[in-house]
Amino acid sequence: MAAAIPVGAADGAVAALRESTPFGDAPPGLLARVAAIARAARYPAGARIYSAGDDADDIFVVVSGRVDHVFTPEVGAREPLKRMTRGGVFGWAGLLLGQTKRLATVTAAEPTEVLRLDTEALVALLESEPLDGGRVMERFVGMIQREFTLPAMLSQVRRLSGPLTEEMSSLSLTMYRLSLWLKSPRPYLMVIGFALFLGFWYLAVEVWKLPRFREMPGFTSVVKEWVSPNPTYGLSLYTEEYYQHIIVSIWRVTKAFLLATVLGVTFGLLLGWSRKFKEYVFPVFEMLRPIPILAWVPLAIVMFIATESAVVYLAFLASFFATALNTMLGVESIDESYIRAADCLGANRRQVFRHVIIPGAMPFIFTGLQISVGVSWFSLVAAEMVSGQYGLGYVINTSYMMVRYPTIIIGMVTLGIVGYITSALVRVAGDYLMEWRVRELALSER
Amino acid sequence: MNMRHPSTRGQISIQDVVKVYDPEGAAVMAVDHCSLDIDAGEICMIVGPSGCGKTTLLNAIAGFHEITSGRITMDGEVLCSNEKPKSTPGPDRIVVFQNGALFPWKSNLENVIFGPVMQGKLGRREAIEKGRAMMADAGLSGVEHNYPGEVSSGMRRRVEIVRALMNDPKALLLDEPYRALDSLTKSVMHEALLEIYYKNKVTIFFITHDLEEAIFLGHRVAIMTTRPCKPKKVLDVDIPHPRDYSVLTSKRFRELIEETNDAVHEEALKAFQAGEKEG
Repeated sequence: MAAAIPVGAADGAVAALRESTPFGDAPPGLLARVAAIARAARYPAGARIYSAGDDADDIFVVVSGRVDHVFTPEVGAREPLKRMTRGGVFGWAGLLLGQTKRLATVTAAEPTEVLRLDTEALVALLESEPLDGGRVMERFVGMIQREFTLPAMLSQVRRLSGPLTEEMSSLSLTMYRLSLWLKSPRPYLMVIGFALFLGFWYLAVEVWKLPRFREMPGFTSVVKEWVSPNPTYGLSLYTEEYYQHIIVSIWRVTKAFLLATVLGVTFGLLLGWSRKFKEYVFPVFEMLRPIPILAWVPLAIVMFIATESAVVYLAFLASFFATALNTMLGVESIDESYIRAADCLGANRRQVFRHVIIPGAMPFIFTGLQISVGVSWFSLVAAEMVSGQYGLGYVINTSYMMVRYPTIIIGMVTLGIVGYITSALVRVAGDYLMEWRVRELALSER
Repeated sequence: MNMRHPSTRGQISIQDVVKVYDPEGAAVMAVDHCSLDIDAGEICMIVGPSGCGKTTLLNAIAGFHEITSGRITMDGEVLCSNEKPKSTPGPDRIVVFQNGALFPWKSNLENVIFGPVMQGKLGRREAIEKGRAMMADAGLSGVEHNYPGEVSSGMRRRVEIVRALMNDPKALLLDEPYRALDSLTKSVMHEALLEIYYKNKVTIFFITHDLEEAIFLGHRVAIMTTRPCKPKKVLDVDIPHPRDYSVLTSKRFRELIEETNDAVHEEALKAFQAGEKEG
């Protein structure tokens, strides 16, 4: 096999490009255009391809053979020597910000065929197809950082002068995604969705005065109250109290959520891992789980003297159940092959737990945590009925008793927004901890 | 026969093994008094239709399942027997799974060094050094820091085999590892596997339902009967190693296929009529 690729044949060039990290998943059209600017070259064994300090003009892709790539010590690469075979890419120094000279010396270790791509021509080509080209640049950055493990300072890649990428720190990656999102129809659909919802509210209550809607606080009166420096019912964006309620609620949810996470994950891992433990505990767990939070209120008051701990306990409870259940399902969903493979490779039970069970359950755990943070917010309203002081749930309850309808809506909307933000934070934390999964999903275009 | 595969370890002997599943009182015999000797350093291909019970045999050798009766030994050492029906899984016989079992949450290199590091045989640093070298040898440099989900399925299989070889196993047990691959990738993988085999001379117990694959790779091909499973016919493939893809068009290869095709087809038909579920 490993038939020699005919030099210069475009098919061969495309095949070689496809095996390289930066071009691996580029669409065929783009690959063909890249192949068209590629020049084939051959080097006998021992030939110097370029030396450190030369002008950085071309980027090389190995078609066959093998090269030795040695960084100069000044680069400070963690692994200065690298051998590259088919699909290996080198000579990308010209892509780096402010770098015009070669950083390494490259020698053919065997008779070697390469494709040479003029750096400027390549950049121009990638700029002409901003979306796919940007992806290729991103993959270049990833390759330089991961495979060559250069210090971050050096691996700052030039920006395409299109709408696209500069140095791909995770922040700029987020910004890039945000800009893509803004260019897609999605944000506008979202705006339309909100407009329809709010428009209906406005029309139903204030214009058409539909039965059942007539008594509700109208859209305009709520907004007026919310942004009024001098609110009729004492709560708006301008009052200090408003923020106090928010902070108190966030603080309670944080405590409840953290506690639920620590206990729920531990408990769920045990449930999923130990059959005996599950047999003892799961039936009780399943019986307690459907009991609504409101039903727990009297007990909570009896159990905890301080109302604060009663509130946290109530917000904790539902979230604990969600986390524990998802974690257990996560452990049970792990493909048996992974555990068997770890057994074959000589891992003991503790190592299997640490290296297979915990990371394997991680996607489910984070789904659970997202549900759990939401659940702890809606338990909060029930929980804060117990407390006589602060919190968004408290605002809603007291406003109801004191017939301050617009304030109820302000409380509800605020709860919705803050809840949305916390659940987004959990998702970001999950993405951060499960880079493998993010990359996998990104490749399957999800 | 030992002249042919000059290895001194990894001789597996399956003696009169019976496996009866008893899920709901209705006993199903999966393996019926099956005996088979696999030489040290041999590539032994096990061919049978899906669901014929060949994976059960592999699971018994690997130590994932108990056997009902019989004995399996490796290099004279008893793995499982009537007294100890379940062998203990270990790094001397490593399974390469049908759907691949690289840990998706570890980079390819982390996967490769898993065995020696877990067993405490090598320090992390040495393991990384060895892992890099072995990956480079298998044409895998450049993807060390990628996650398995980021590389092609063919590459993943290669990484998985390297992960196994890192432990210097006596035998590799492959359970239809190339089943999910397209035929082009498959042909590349076959040659890559042979290349690895010529360098490492490890015993290979390879399950497949693909007769061409079996004859192309194997020193011997055991064609199994369908449920219960036992060898129906054992074929000596007298095509000399090292082989490459030109073998596929050779006259002898075609003859061997013709010789065995009937036996395989007969069992496939039986399995089909029995309506066994894939597995």
